Amino acid sequence: MRTKVKVALPETVLARILEAFGQELLDASDQEIMEAAKELGMNPQMKGSAAFLGLTFPAKLQVSDFFDVEAIKQHVAREARERIAHATSNDLEPKAPPSKLSEISMGRKDSGQK
Amino acid sequence: MPQTLKLVDKRDLRPAETALALGVISRIELLRLKTIARVYARGLPPDVAWDDLLQEALTRIILGARQQPEGVTTVAFVAGIMRSLRAEHWRRVSRRSGGSEAAWLDRIGRSREIDLPDPAPGAERSLSAQQQLRAIERLFADDPVVLKIIAALGQGLCAAQIRGAMGISKTNYDSARRRMRRTLLREGLTCEPK
Repeated sequence: MRTKVKVALPETVLARILEAFGQELLDASDQEIMEAAKELGMNPQMKGSAAFLGLTFPAKLQVSDFFDVEAIKQHVAREARERIAHATSNDLEPKAPPSKLSEISMGRKDSGQK
Repeated sequence: MPQTLKLVDKRDLRPAETALALGVISRIELLRLKTIARVYARGLPPDVAWDDLLQEALTRIILGARQQPEGVTTVAFVAGIMRSLRAEHWRRVSRRSGGSEAAWLDRIGRSREIDLPDPAPGAERSLSAQQQLRAIERLFADDPVVLKIIAALGQGLCAAQIRGAMGISKTNYDSARRRMRRTLLREGLTCEPK
């Protein structure tokens, strides 16, 4: 009779490894953390140190980290409103009297037709 | 005159900043938690990032949703919350899949006795786990001793069993664990892709 070999699922294997890694990091000394940071050229004593990416400032910078997105939206909406209002007022305005140039061209056209 | 857009001069505090300001954690503890969060986020879908895990765990503590038991360090406590958030995520995924199946059976008016488990979430999780296991192998590719220890940890062996199976001394084993820890710390402190 064959021996039944139990093969652990990848998610089970991963969970065990991650658990061990987590414990390893819990057991690491503060000195080890500081040394690892220094090896990476980071100085955790500095307020804006790259070590704090994703912690005290976002890991991925977004537009909202630099600009007030709400103000941009309001600005864009106001500009659009103004453009629409301007276009509408142009449509409603009475047509301007024809320019002299157009009169001349009209006159030429008329004379030609005669 | 066109109005110039102002730069943001007032941002909401992130939970980590609040925890620091309140003295819930120290800066070095925060760094340690970052490395742990990056470990626990492995295998989770891309929409659940390591900083989500950590900031959510800190939020729960700040709001008083979780009480720190006596004798448990803050770092271990936060790490425990992150671990449970991870488990919570997988429970939610499997529940969602079960829920949709039940709804589908209701819609077509079939009996619920027909058991049609949806393999998708399990398969996705399994695939993601395989990818992460390969990523871990790549991370330690230049250290065969550490790779063997990791493989043994994956089988659920304890330190003494690993030493016995590998035939290495306690000194060599401890030294390999130290190298493993250093790599994990270095990888955890950066924000490079896993």
